[in-house]
Amino acid sequence: MLIRCENVVCGYGRTPSDNPVLKGINLEIEEGKSYCILGANGCGKTTLLRAISGMLPYQGSITLGDKQVSKLKRKEIASCIAMLSQISQIYFSYTVEEAVMLGRYLYADNFLGIPSKRDREIVSECIEKNGLKELKDRQISSLSGGQMQRMLLARTMAQMTPIIVLDEPTNHLDLKYRAELESFLKEWKKDSGHTLIAVFHDINSAIEIGDEFIFMKEGQIVSERAKENFLDGDELQEIYGMDVKLYMKKQLLFWK
Amino acid sequence: MSKNKQIRRIFFIIVITVLSLALCICAGSVLLSAGEMAEIISYKLFGKQLSDAANVSNVSILWDIRMPRVFCAFFAGAALSLSGAVMQAVLQNPLASSYTMGVSAGASLGAAIVIITGAAGSIFGYFLLPAAGFGAGLLTVFLVIAFAAKIDRNMHNNTLILFGMVFSLFVNAMLTILSTMSSEHVQRLIMWQMGSFSGKRWVHVAALCVCTLIGGFLLIFFHRELDIMTFGEEPAMSIGVDIKRKKTMLLAIASFLTGAAVCFSGIIGFVDLTVPQIVRKIFGSKHSVVLPMSMLLGGVFMALADMVSRTIMAPREIPVGAVTAMIGVPVFVWIYFKGRD
Repeated sequence: MLIRCENVVCGYGRTPSDNPVLKGINLEIEEGKSYCILGANGCGKTTLLRAISGMLPYQGSITLGDKQVSKLKRKEIASCIAMLSQISQIYFSYTVEEAVMLGRYLYADNFLGIPSKRDREIVSECIEKNGLKELKDRQISSLSGGQMQRMLLARTMAQMTPIIVLDEPTNHLDLKYRAELESFLKEWKKDSGHTLIAVFHDINSAIEIGDEFIFMKEGQIVSERAKENFLDGDELQEIYGMDVKLYMKKQLLFWK
Repeated sequence: MSKNKQIRRIFFIIVITVLSLALCICAGSVLLSAGEMAEIISYKLFGKQLSDAANVSNVSILWDIRMPRVFCAFFAGAALSLSGAVMQAVLQNPLASSYTMGVSAGASLGAAIVIITGAAGSIFGYFLLPAAGFGAGLLTVFLVIAFAAKIDRNMHNNTLILFGMVFSLFVNAMLTILSTMSSEHVQRLIMWQMGSFSGKRWVHVAALCVCTLIGGFLLIFFHRELDIMTFGEEPAMSIGVDIKRKKTMLLAIASFLTGAAVCFSGIIGFVDLTVPQIVRKIFGSKHSVVLPMSMLLGGVFMALADMVSRTIMAPREIPVGAVTAMIGVPVFVWIYFKGRD
Protein backbone atom coordinates (compact mmCIF):
# COMPACT_ATOMS: atom_id res chain seq x y z
CA MET A 1 0.00 0.00 0.00
CA LEU A 2 1.37 3.37 -1.02
CA ILE A 3 -0.91 5.86 0.67
CA ARG A 4 -3.52 5.09 3.29
CA CYS A 5 -5.94 7.63 4.72
CA GLU A 6 -7.82 6.67 7.84
CA ASN A 7 -10.62 8.82 9.13
CA VAL A 8 -8.98 12.02 7.89
CA VAL A 9 -10.56 15.24 9.07
CA CYS A 10 -9.07 18.48 7.85
CA GLY A 11 -9.85 22.00 6.78
CA TYR A 12 -8.64 25.56 6.90
CA GLY A 13 -9.68 26.59 10.40
CA ARG A 14 -7.52 27.04 13.48
CA THR A 15 -7.64 23.30 14.14
CA PRO A 16 -8.31 20.53 11.61
CA SER A 17 -11.70 19.76 13.14
CA ASP A 18 -12.78 23.40 13.23
CA ASN A 19 -15.22 23.71 10.34
CA PRO A 20 -13.60 20.85 8.38
CA VAL A 21 -13.73 20.44 4.62
CA LEU A 22 -12.86 16.73 4.73
CA LYS A 23 -15.11 14.91 7.15
CA GLY A 24 -13.66 11.47 7.73
CA ILE A 25 -11.92 10.24 4.60
CA ASN A 26 -10.87 6.60 4.29
CA LEU A 27 -8.86 5.80 1.21
CA GLU A 28 -6.20 3.42 -0.03
CA ILE A 29 -3.95 4.27 -2.96
CA GLU A 30 -2.11 1.40 -4.62
CA GLU A 31 1.10 1.64 -6.54
CA GLY A 32 1.04 2.04 -10.30
CA LYS A 33 -2.61 2.88 -10.67
CA SER A 34 -4.21 6.14 -11.65
CA TYR A 35 -6.92 7.57 -9.48
CA CYS A 36 -9.32 10.28 -10.50
CA ILE A 37 -11.21 12.23 -7.89
CA LEU A 38 -14.57 13.51 -9.07
CA GLY A 39 -17.29 15.55 -7.49
CA ALA A 40 -19.12 18.85 -7.56
CA ASN A 41 -17.41 22.16 -6.78
CA GLY A 42 -16.51 22.60 -3.14
CA CYS A 43 -16.76 18.93 -2.20
CA GLY A 44 -13.15 18.80 -1.00
CA LYS A 45 -11.27 17.36 -3.98
CA THR A 46 -8.40 19.81 -3.89
CA THR A 47 -8.30 19.73 -0.09
CA LEU A 48 -7.86 15.96 -0.23
CA LEU A 49 -4.89 16.39 -2.59
CA ARG A 50 -3.36 18.97 -0.25
CA ALA A 51 -3.82 16.72 2.76
CA ILE A 52 -2.19 13.79 0.98
CA SER A 53 0.72 16.04 -0.04
CA GLY A 54 1.22 17.09 3.57
CA MET A 55 0.29 20.70 3.05
CA LEU A 56 -2.48 20.85 5.62
CA PRO A 57 -2.59 19.78 9.24
CA TYR A 58 -5.04 16.92 9.66
CA GLN A 59 -6.70 14.70 12.22
CA GLY A 60 -6.69 10.95 11.74
CA SER A 61 -3.92 9.24 9.86
CA ILE A 62 -2.34 9.60 6.44
CA THR A 63 0.55 7.24 5.85
CA LEU A 64 2.98 7.34 2.99
CA GLY A 65 4.61 3.93 2.85
CA ASP A 66 4.84 3.22 6.56
CA LYS A 67 5.36 6.80 7.72
CA GLN A 68 2.91 9.36 8.94
CA VAL A 69 2.82 12.28 6.47
CA SER A 70 2.69 14.94 9.20
CA LYS A 71 5.96 13.58 10.65
CA LEU A 72 7.85 13.78 7.37
CA LYS A 73 10.05 16.67 6.38
CA ARG A 74 9.05 18.79 3.39
CA LYS A 75 11.92 17.40 1.32
CA GLU A 76 11.05 13.81 2.17
CA ILE A 77 7.50 14.33 0.95
CA ALA A 78 8.70 16.17 -2.14
CA SER A 79 10.89 13.23 -3.10
CA CYS A 80 7.79 10.96 -3.15
CA ILE A 81 4.95 13.24 -4.23
CA ALA A 82 5.04 16.02 -6.81
CA MET A 83 1.95 18.15 -7.06
CA LEU A 84 0.74 20.25 -9.93
CA SER A 85 -1.37 23.01 -8.42
CA GLN A 86 -3.89 25.09 -10.25
CA ILE A 87 -2.24 28.03 -11.98
CA SER A 88 -2.00 31.09 -9.83
CA GLN A 89 -0.85 34.56 -10.73
CA ILE A 90 2.90 34.67 -11.33
CA TYR A 91 4.46 38.11 -11.11
CA PHE A 92 8.07 37.33 -11.84
CA SER A 93 9.33 36.09 -15.13
CA TYR A 94 11.73 33.25 -15.81
CA THR A 95 12.50 31.40 -19.00
CA VAL A 96 10.70 28.09 -19.45
CA GLU A 97 13.95 26.21 -18.92
CA GLU A 98 14.80 28.08 -15.72
CA ALA A 99 11.32 27.46 -14.36
CA VAL A 100 11.39 23.73 -15.11
CA MET A 101 14.87 23.50 -13.57
CA LEU A 102 13.39 24.60 -10.23
CA GLY A 103 11.73 21.17 -10.09
CA ARG A 104 15.21 19.75 -9.51
CA TYR A 105 15.59 21.72 -6.26
CA LEU A 106 15.65 18.58 -4.14
CA TYR A 107 18.51 16.96 -5.92
CA ALA A 108 21.05 19.75 -5.86
CA ASP A 109 23.97 18.46 -3.87
CA ASN A 110 26.21 21.49 -4.11
CA PHE A 111 25.09 24.25 -1.83
CA LEU A 112 24.92 26.98 -4.43
CA GLY A 113 22.52 24.79 -6.37
CA ILE A 114 24.29 24.68 -9.70
CA PRO A 115 22.45 22.08 -11.82
CA SER A 116 24.34 18.88 -12.62
CA LYS A 117 24.55 17.22 -16.02
CA ARG A 118 21.83 14.78 -15.00
CA ASP A 119 19.56 17.67 -13.92
CA ARG A 120 20.01 19.26 -17.34
CA GLU A 121 19.24 16.01 -19.13
CA ILE A 122 16.09 15.38 -17.14
CA VAL A 123 14.90 18.93 -17.59
CA SER A 124 15.40 18.93 -21.34
CA GLU A 125 13.65 15.56 -21.54
CA CYS A 126 10.66 16.85 -19.59
CA ILE A 127 10.55 19.99 -21.71
CA GLU A 128 10.61 17.95 -24.88
CA LYS A 129 7.94 15.50 -23.72
CA ASN A 130 5.60 18.37 -22.99
CA GLY A 131 6.14 19.89 -26.42
CA LEU A 132 7.94 22.96 -25.14
CA LYS A 133 11.25 22.50 -26.90
CA GLU A 134 10.83 25.54 -29.16
CA LEU A 135 9.67 27.61 -26.22
CA LYS A 136 12.42 26.78 -23.78
CA ASP A 137 14.03 30.23 -23.89
CA ARG A 138 10.75 32.11 -23.82
CA GLN A 139 9.78 34.16 -20.78
CA ILE A 140 6.95 32.42 -18.96
CA SER A 141 5.08 35.72 -18.71
CA SER A 142 4.55 35.50 -22.47
CA LEU A 143 3.12 31.96 -22.44
CA SER A 144 -0.52 31.19 -23.08
CA GLY A 145 -2.55 29.44 -20.40
CA GLY A 146 -2.09 26.07 -22.06
CA GLN A 147 1.64 26.52 -22.51
CA MET A 148 1.92 27.61 -18.90
CA GLN A 149 0.07 24.49 -17.79
CA ARG A 150 2.46 22.31 -19.79
CA MET A 151 5.44 24.15 -18.35
CA LEU A 152 4.16 23.47 -14.83
CA LEU A 153 3.56 19.83 -15.73
CA ALA A 154 7.12 19.58 -17.03
CA ARG A 155 8.38 20.98 -13.74
CA THR A 156 6.26 18.52 -11.78
CA MET A 157 7.69 15.65 -13.82
CA ALA A 158 11.23 16.93 -13.41
CA GLN A 159 10.87 16.13 -9.72
CA MET A 160 10.98 12.43 -10.75
CA THR A 161 8.71 11.24 -7.97
CA PRO A 162 6.88 7.88 -7.90
CA ILE A 163 3.59 9.64 -7.16
CA ILE A 164 2.24 12.55 -9.13
CA VAL A 165 -0.73 14.57 -7.94
CA LEU A 166 -2.53 16.75 -10.45
CA ASP A 167 -5.10 19.39 -9.61
CA GLU A 168 -7.23 20.00 -12.70
CA PRO A 169 -4.42 19.40 -15.21
CA THR A 170 -6.60 19.96 -18.27
CA ASN A 171 -7.69 23.42 -17.16
CA HIS A 172 -6.70 26.16 -19.59
CA LEU A 173 -5.97 23.65 -22.33
CA ASP A 174 -7.72 23.77 -25.68
CA LEU A 175 -9.07 20.54 -27.13
CA LYS A 176 -5.96 19.58 -29.04
CA TYR A 177 -3.65 19.87 -26.06
CA ARG A 178 -6.21 18.35 -23.78
CA ALA A 179 -6.35 15.26 -26.00
CA GLU A 180 -2.58 15.25 -26.24
CA LEU A 181 -2.16 15.58 -22.52
CA GLU A 182 -4.63 12.80 -21.86
CA SER A 183 -2.90 10.34 -24.14
CA PHE A 184 0.47 11.54 -22.96
CA LEU A 185 -0.43 10.95 -19.31
CA LYS A 186 -1.74 7.48 -20.16
CA GLU A 187 1.39 6.53 -22.04
CA TRP A 188 3.69 8.02 -19.48
CA LYS A 189 1.99 6.19 -16.67
CA LYS A 190 2.06 2.89 -18.54
CA ASP A 191 5.78 3.14 -19.26
CA SER A 192 6.98 4.42 -15.96
CA GLY A 193 4.64 2.71 -13.50
CA HIS A 194 3.93 5.99 -11.76
CA THR A 195 1.02 6.41 -9.44
CA LEU A 196 -1.26 9.19 -10.48
CA ILE A 197 -3.83 10.98 -8.35
CA ALA A 198 -5.78 13.63 -10.20
CA VAL A 199 -8.74 15.90 -9.66
CA PHE A 200 -10.94 16.61 -12.64
CA HIS A 201 -14.06 18.60 -13.04
CA ASP A 202 -14.38 17.23 -16.54
CA ILE A 203 -15.67 13.64 -16.33
CA ASN A 204 -14.59 12.85 -19.89
CA SER A 205 -10.94 13.70 -19.20
CA ALA A 206 -11.09 11.60 -16.07
CA ILE A 207 -12.47 8.59 -17.95
CA GLU A 208 -9.63 8.88 -20.45
CA ILE A 209 -6.92 8.77 -17.81
CA GLY A 210 -8.20 6.98 -14.73
CA ASP A 211 -8.24 3.33 -13.63
CA GLU A 212 -10.03 4.01 -10.40
CA PHE A 213 -12.59 6.70 -9.67
CA ILE A 214 -13.25 8.28 -6.33
CA PHE A 215 -16.49 10.20 -6.01
CA MET A 216 -16.79 12.82 -3.33
CA LYS A 217 -19.68 14.74 -1.92
CA GLU A 218 -19.64 17.24 0.93
CA GLY A 219 -16.25 16.23 2.24
CA GLN A 220 -16.81 12.51 2.16
CA ILE A 221 -16.09 9.73 -0.26
CA VAL A 222 -19.42 8.35 -1.42
CA SER A 223 -18.22 5.81 -3.91
CA GLU A 224 -15.10 4.17 -5.30
CA ARG A 225 -15.35 2.51 -8.68
CA ALA A 226 -13.12 0.88 -11.22
CA LYS A 227 -13.49 2.01 -14.82
CA GLU A 228 -15.42 -1.10 -15.88
CA ASN A 229 -17.87 -0.45 -13.15
CA PHE A 230 -18.50 3.28 -13.55
CA LEU A 231 -21.46 4.92 -11.85
CA ASP A 232 -24.79 4.83 -13.63
CA GLY A 233 -26.90 7.87 -14.38
CA ASP A 234 -28.83 7.92 -11.13
CA GLU A 235 -25.72 7.72 -9.01
CA LEU A 236 -24.05 10.50 -10.97
CA GLN A 237 -27.13 12.62 -10.55
CA GLU A 238 -26.88 12.10 -6.82
CA ILE A 239 -23.31 13.34 -6.78
CA TYR A 240 -23.47 16.24 -9.20
CA GLY A 241 -27.04 17.30 -8.46
CA MET A 242 -27.96 17.16 -12.13
CA ASP A 243 -28.66 14.60 -14.82
CA VAL A 244 -25.12 14.20 -16.10
CA LYS A 245 -25.89 11.48 -18.61
CA LEU A 246 -28.69 13.45 -20.22
CA TYR A 247 -26.41 16.45 -20.53
CA MET A 248 -23.65 14.41 -22.21
CA LYS A 249 -26.14 12.82 -24.57
CA LYS A 250 -27.50 16.22 -25.53
CA GLN A 251 -23.99 17.35 -26.38
CA LEU A 252 -23.39 14.23 -28.49
CA LEU A 253 -26.60 14.76 -30.41
CA PHE A 254 -25.14 17.85 -32.02
CA TRP A 255 -22.26 15.89 -33.58
CA LYS A 256 -24.40 13.27 -35.28
CA MET B 1 18.67 35.49 -22.92
CA SER B 2 22.02 34.19 -24.01
CA LYS B 3 24.74 33.71 -21.47
CA ASN B 4 27.17 36.06 -23.19
CA LYS B 5 24.68 38.86 -23.29
CA GLN B 6 24.05 38.34 -19.60
CA ILE B 7 27.76 38.47 -18.80
CA ARG B 8 28.20 41.61 -20.90
CA ARG B 9 25.39 43.26 -19.00
CA ILE B 10 26.85 42.29 -15.64
CA PHE B 11 30.21 43.68 -16.70
CA PHE B 12 28.51 46.88 -17.85
CA ILE B 13 26.84 47.32 -14.45
CA ILE B 14 30.17 46.84 -12.67
CA VAL B 15 31.81 49.49 -14.83
CA ILE B 16 28.90 51.86 -14.18
CA THR B 17 29.26 51.23 -10.46
CA VAL B 18 32.94 52.17 -10.39
CA LEU B 19 32.49 55.24 -12.60
CA SER B 20 29.49 56.48 -10.63
CA LEU B 21 31.28 56.13 -7.33
CA ALA B 22 34.22 58.09 -8.71
CA LEU B 23 31.86 60.77 -9.98
CA CYS B 24 30.13 61.00 -6.60
CA ILE B 25 33.46 61.37 -4.84
CA CYS B 26 34.67 64.10 -7.20
CA ALA B 27 31.49 66.15 -7.41
CA GLY B 28 30.41 68.48 -4.65
CA SER B 29 30.77 72.02 -3.40
CA VAL B 30 34.50 71.65 -4.03
CA LEU B 31 34.92 70.04 -7.42
CA LEU B 32 37.89 67.70 -7.71
CA SER B 33 39.40 66.20 -10.82
CA ALA B 34 39.71 62.46 -11.30
CA GLY B 35 43.49 62.86 -11.15
CA GLU B 36 43.34 64.58 -7.80
CA MET B 37 41.02 61.92 -6.49
CA ALA B 38 43.36 59.14 -7.60
CA GLU B 39 46.31 60.97 -6.07
CA ILE B 40 44.64 61.53 -2.72
CA ILE B 41 43.38 57.96 -2.51
CA SER B 42 46.77 56.50 -3.30
CA TYR B 43 48.33 58.92 -0.79
CA LYS B 44 45.96 57.71 1.91
CA LEU B 45 46.05 54.04 1.06
CA PHE B 46 49.65 53.50 -0.04
CA GLY B 47 51.42 56.50 1.43
CA LYS B 48 52.40 57.83 -2.01
CA GLN B 49 53.79 61.39 -2.00
CA LEU B 50 51.36 64.17 -2.88
CA SER B 51 52.37 66.42 -5.75
CA ASP B 52 52.48 70.17 -5.11
CA ALA B 53 49.21 70.71 -6.95
CA ALA B 54 47.22 68.82 -4.37
CA ASN B 55 45.66 71.02 -1.79
CA VAL B 56 45.89 69.79 1.81
CA SER B 57 42.35 70.84 2.58
CA ASN B 58 41.15 68.85 -0.41
CA VAL B 59 42.68 65.76 1.18
CA SER B 60 40.54 66.21 4.22
CA ILE B 61 37.41 67.08 2.22
CA LEU B 62 37.77 64.02 0.09
CA TRP B 63 38.96 61.50 2.63
CA ASP B 64 37.19 62.59 5.81
CA ILE B 65 33.94 64.00 4.48
CA ARG B 66 33.05 62.95 1.01
CA MET B 67 34.23 59.38 0.74
CA PRO B 68 32.56 58.17 3.94
CA ARG B 69 29.39 59.87 2.80
CA VAL B 70 29.46 58.30 -0.66
CA PHE B 71 30.21 54.83 0.68
CA CYS B 72 27.57 55.14 3.36
CA ALA B 73 25.02 55.99 0.70
CA PHE B 74 26.29 53.13 -1.44
CA PHE B 75 25.97 50.48 1.25
CA ALA B 76 22.64 51.80 2.51
CA GLY B 77 21.27 51.67 -1.03
CA ALA B 78 22.70 48.19 -1.50
CA ALA B 79 21.14 46.94 1.73
CA LEU B 80 17.77 48.48 0.97
CA SER B 81 17.47 47.12 -2.54
CA LEU B 82 18.69 43.67 -1.46
CA SER B 83 15.99 43.54 1.15
CA GLY B 84 13.45 44.84 -1.34
CA ALA B 85 14.33 42.06 -3.78
CA VAL B 86 13.90 39.46 -1.05
CA MET B 87 10.63 40.85 0.28
CA GLN B 88 9.11 40.97 -3.18
CA ALA B 89 10.01 37.37 -3.90
CA VAL B 90 9.07 35.97 -0.50
CA LEU B 91 5.76 37.79 -0.29
CA GLN B 92 5.19 37.13 -3.99
CA ASN B 93 4.20 40.71 -4.43
CA PRO B 94 6.08 43.21 -6.59
CA LEU B 95 4.89 46.06 -4.38
CA ALA B 96 6.15 44.65 -1.10
CA SER B 97 9.14 46.00 0.79
CA SER B 98 10.50 45.91 4.31
CA TYR B 99 8.52 49.05 4.91
CA THR B 100 5.39 47.00 4.27
CA MET B 101 6.44 44.82 7.18
CA GLY B 102 6.64 47.76 9.56
CA VAL B 103 10.40 48.33 9.74
CA SER B 104 10.21 52.05 9.04
CA ALA B 105 7.34 52.71 11.39
CA GLY B 106 9.06 50.80 14.19
CA ALA B 107 12.39 52.50 13.56
CA SER B 108 10.74 55.94 13.61
CA LEU B 109 9.10 55.21 16.90
CA GLY B 110 12.36 53.97 18.39
CA ALA B 111 14.19 57.06 17.19
CA ALA B 112 11.38 59.30 18.43
CA ILE B 113 11.57 57.85 21.91
CA VAL B 114 15.31 58.47 22.03
CA ILE B 115 14.97 62.03 20.71
CA ILE B 116 12.07 62.97 22.96
CA THR B 117 13.56 61.59 26.14
CA GLY B 118 16.62 63.70 25.38
CA ALA B 119 18.95 60.72 25.43
CA ALA B 120 20.05 61.57 21.90
CA GLY B 121 21.78 64.72 23.15
CA SER B 122 24.36 62.89 25.25
CA ILE B 123 27.54 61.33 23.90
CA PHE B 124 25.89 58.04 24.53
CA GLY B 125 23.12 59.17 22.15
CA TYR B 126 25.48 59.18 19.19
CA PHE B 127 25.08 55.45 18.97
CA LEU B 128 21.82 55.22 20.85
CA LEU B 129 19.77 56.81 18.09
CA PRO B 130 20.72 54.33 15.36
CA ALA B 131 20.60 51.44 17.82
CA ALA B 132 17.08 52.36 18.96
CA GLY B 133 15.92 52.73 15.36
CA PHE B 134 17.43 49.40 14.45
CA GLY B 135 16.08 47.58 17.48
CA ALA B 136 12.58 49.00 17.28
CA GLY B 137 12.39 48.32 13.54
CA LEU B 138 13.36 44.68 13.99
CA LEU B 139 11.07 44.30 16.99
CA THR B 140 8.12 45.46 14.92
CA VAL B 141 8.84 42.94 12.17
CA PHE B 142 9.30 40.24 14.76
CA LEU B 143 5.89 41.05 16.26
CA VAL B 144 4.31 41.07 12.80
CA ILE B 145 5.73 37.62 12.01
CA ALA B 146 4.89 36.22 15.43
CA PHE B 147 1.29 37.38 15.30
CA ALA B 148 0.84 36.25 11.71
CA ALA B 149 2.22 32.82 12.59
CA LYS B 150 -0.03 32.59 15.61
CA ILE B 151 -3.20 33.47 13.74
CA ASP B 152 -2.41 31.75 10.46
CA ARG B 153 -0.57 28.48 10.89
CA ASN B 154 0.81 28.52 7.36
CA MET B 155 1.79 32.18 7.48
CA HIS B 156 0.23 33.10 4.17
CA ASN B 157 1.59 36.16 2.40
CA ASN B 158 -1.64 38.06 2.65
CA THR B 159 -1.71 37.55 6.40
CA LEU B 160 1.85 38.86 6.67
CA ILE B 161 1.18 41.91 4.52
CA LEU B 162 -2.04 42.65 6.37
CA PHE B 163 -0.36 42.40 9.76
CA GLY B 164 2.57 44.48 8.53
CA MET B 165 0.26 47.26 7.48
CA VAL B 166 -1.90 47.08 10.58
CA PHE B 167 1.15 47.22 12.83
CA SER B 168 2.62 50.10 10.84
CA LEU B 169 -0.57 52.09 11.25
CA PHE B 170 -0.70 51.30 14.94
CA VAL B 171 2.92 52.29 15.52
CA ASN B 172 2.46 55.43 13.43
CA ALA B 173 -0.47 56.40 15.61
CA MET B 174 1.72 56.07 18.71
CA LEU B 175 4.32 58.20 16.97
CA THR B 176 1.74 60.90 16.20
CA ILE B 177 0.62 60.98 19.81
CA LEU B 178 4.20 61.17 21.04
CA SER B 179 5.09 64.01 18.73
CA THR B 180 2.02 66.10 19.53
CA MET B 181 2.85 65.73 23.20
CA SER B 182 6.34 67.11 22.71
CA SER B 183 6.15 69.44 19.76
CA GLU B 184 9.59 70.96 20.43
CA HIS B 185 11.23 67.79 19.11
CA VAL B 186 9.10 67.43 16.01
CA GLN B 187 11.56 69.29 13.78
CA ARG B 188 14.42 66.97 14.65
CA LEU B 189 12.27 63.89 14.28
CA ILE B 190 11.08 64.92 10.84
CA MET B 191 14.67 65.57 9.77
CA TRP B 192 15.65 62.11 10.97
CA GLN B 193 12.76 60.51 9.13
CA MET B 194 13.56 62.25 5.86
CA GLY B 195 16.95 60.65 5.83
CA SER B 196 20.37 62.07 5.12
CA PHE B 197 23.96 60.97 4.69
CA SER B 198 25.56 64.19 5.86
CA GLY B 199 28.16 63.99 8.60
CA LYS B 200 28.83 60.29 8.14
CA ARG B 201 32.25 58.98 9.11
CA TRP B 202 34.26 55.90 8.30
CA VAL B 203 32.94 54.14 11.39
CA HIS B 204 29.44 54.32 9.89
CA VAL B 205 30.74 53.00 6.60
CA ALA B 206 32.37 50.09 8.37
CA ALA B 207 29.21 49.18 10.29
CA LEU B 208 26.98 49.42 7.23
CA CYS B 209 29.45 47.58 5.03
CA VAL B 210 29.71 44.68 7.45
CA CYS B 211 25.91 44.43 7.83
CA THR B 212 25.30 44.61 4.08
CA LEU B 213 27.96 42.07 3.20
CA ILE B 214 26.83 39.62 5.88
CA GLY B 215 23.21 39.97 4.76
CA GLY B 216 24.11 39.62 1.10
CA PHE B 217 26.31 36.62 1.78
CA LEU B 218 23.58 34.83 3.70
CA LEU B 219 20.95 35.61 1.09
CA ILE B 220 22.88 34.20 -1.83
CA PHE B 221 22.51 30.74 -0.30
CA PHE B 222 18.76 31.11 -0.63
CA HIS B 223 18.68 32.09 -4.27
CA ARG B 224 16.83 28.98 -5.40
CA GLU B 225 14.30 29.13 -2.60
CA LEU B 226 13.61 32.73 -3.61
CA ASP B 227 13.09 31.66 -7.23
CA ILE B 228 10.72 28.91 -6.16
CA MET B 229 8.75 31.10 -3.77
CA THR B 230 7.82 33.51 -6.55
CA PHE B 231 5.62 30.74 -7.95
CA GLY B 232 3.45 30.66 -4.88
CA GLU B 233 3.35 28.83 -1.60
CA GLU B 234 1.71 25.59 -2.64
CA PRO B 235 4.03 24.95 -5.60
CA ALA B 236 7.00 25.84 -3.40
CA MET B 237 5.96 23.30 -0.76
CA SER B 238 5.42 20.68 -3.44
CA ILE B 239 8.91 21.27 -4.82
CA GLY B 240 10.26 20.66 -1.32
CA VAL B 241 10.82 24.08 0.23
CA ASP B 242 10.03 24.20 3.93
CA ILE B 243 8.16 27.40 3.34
CA LYS B 244 7.40 28.57 6.83
CA ARG B 245 10.94 28.18 8.08
CA LYS B 246 12.62 29.65 5.01
CA LYS B 247 10.16 32.51 4.92
CA THR B 248 10.89 33.44 8.51
CA MET B 249 14.64 33.29 7.93
CA LEU B 250 14.49 35.35 4.75
CA LEU B 251 12.19 37.97 6.27
CA ALA B 252 14.54 38.22 9.24
CA ILE B 253 17.61 38.76 7.05
CA ALA B 254 15.82 41.28 4.85
CA SER B 255 14.56 43.20 7.87
CA PHE B 256 18.04 43.18 9.35
CA LEU B 257 19.35 44.77 6.15
CA THR B 258 16.63 47.42 6.08
CA GLY B 259 17.11 48.05 9.78
CA ALA B 260 20.83 48.62 9.28
CA ALA B 261 20.23 51.06 6.42
CA VAL B 262 17.43 52.91 8.17
CA CYS B 263 19.24 53.35 11.43
CA PHE B 264 22.19 55.14 9.82
CA SER B 265 20.40 57.09 7.15
CA GLY B 266 16.79 57.53 8.20
CA ILE B 267 13.88 56.41 6.13
CA ILE B 268 14.62 56.62 2.44
CA GLY B 269 11.92 55.15 0.32
CA PHE B 270 11.72 54.00 -3.23
CA VAL B 271 15.12 52.37 -3.65
CA ASP B 272 13.95 49.04 -2.25
CA LEU B 273 10.87 49.09 -4.42
CA THR B 274 12.32 50.23 -7.73
CA VAL B 275 15.83 48.90 -8.04
CA PRO B 276 14.96 45.18 -7.86
CA GLN B 277 12.21 45.72 -10.40
CA ILE B 278 14.61 47.42 -12.78
CA VAL B 279 17.16 44.67 -12.26
CA ARG B 280 14.56 42.00 -13.05
CA LYS B 281 13.65 43.84 -16.25
CA ILE B 282 17.27 43.85 -17.35
CA PHE B 283 18.49 40.47 -16.12
CA GLY B 284 15.40 38.30 -15.73
CA SER B 285 14.20 37.04 -12.36
CA LYS B 286 16.84 34.49 -11.36
CA HIS B 287 17.91 35.52 -7.91
CA SER B 288 21.46 34.29 -8.31
CA VAL B 289 21.83 37.34 -10.57
CA VAL B 290 19.10 39.58 -9.17
CA LEU B 291 20.62 39.69 -5.68
CA PRO B 292 24.16 40.85 -6.52
CA MET B 293 22.96 43.17 -9.26
CA SER B 294 20.34 44.75 -6.98
CA MET B 295 23.08 45.32 -4.49
CA LEU B 296 25.33 47.13 -6.98
CA LEU B 297 22.60 49.08 -8.72
CA GLY B 298 20.88 50.01 -5.48
CA GLY B 299 24.16 51.31 -4.10
CA VAL B 300 24.90 53.32 -7.22
CA PHE B 301 21.40 54.71 -7.31
CA MET B 302 21.60 55.87 -3.71
CA ALA B 303 25.10 57.34 -4.09
CA LEU B 304 23.99 59.31 -7.15
CA ALA B 305 20.79 60.46 -5.44
CA ASP B 306 22.84 61.64 -2.49
CA MET B 307 25.22 63.48 -4.83
CA VAL B 308 22.28 65.26 -6.44
CA SER B 309 20.80 66.09 -3.05
CA ARG B 310 23.96 67.86 -1.92
CA THR B 311 24.95 69.56 -5.19
CA ILE B 312 21.84 70.64 -7.02
CA MET B 313 20.91 73.46 -4.64
CA ALA B 314 24.31 73.81 -2.94
CA PRO B 315 25.08 74.91 -0.33
CA ARG B 316 21.58 73.84 0.72
CA GLU B 317 20.79 70.18 0.83
CA ILE B 318 17.51 68.69 -0.22
CA PRO B 319 16.37 65.45 1.45
CA VAL B 320 17.80 62.43 -0.33
CA GLY B 321 14.46 60.63 -0.08
CA ALA B 322 12.89 63.30 -2.27
CA VAL B 323 15.67 62.83 -4.81
CA THR B 324 15.34 59.04 -4.92
CA ALA B 325 11.66 59.40 -5.69
CA MET B 326 12.13 62.19 -8.22
CA ILE B 327 14.82 60.37 -10.18
CA GLY B 328 13.37 56.96 -9.53
CA VAL B 329 9.83 57.46 -10.71
CA PRO B 330 10.62 58.48 -14.30
CA VAL B 331 13.38 55.88 -14.60
CA PHE B 332 11.04 53.25 -13.28
CA VAL B 333 8.22 54.20 -15.65
CA TRP B 334 10.56 54.30 -18.60
CA ILE B 335 12.12 50.92 -17.90
CA TYR B 336 8.83 49.35 -17.05
CA PHE B 337 7.14 50.30 -20.29
CA LYS B 338 10.20 49.85 -22.46
CA GLY B 339 10.86 46.36 -21.19
CA ARG B 340 7.35 45.11 -21.71
CA ASP B 341 6.96 42.42 -24.30
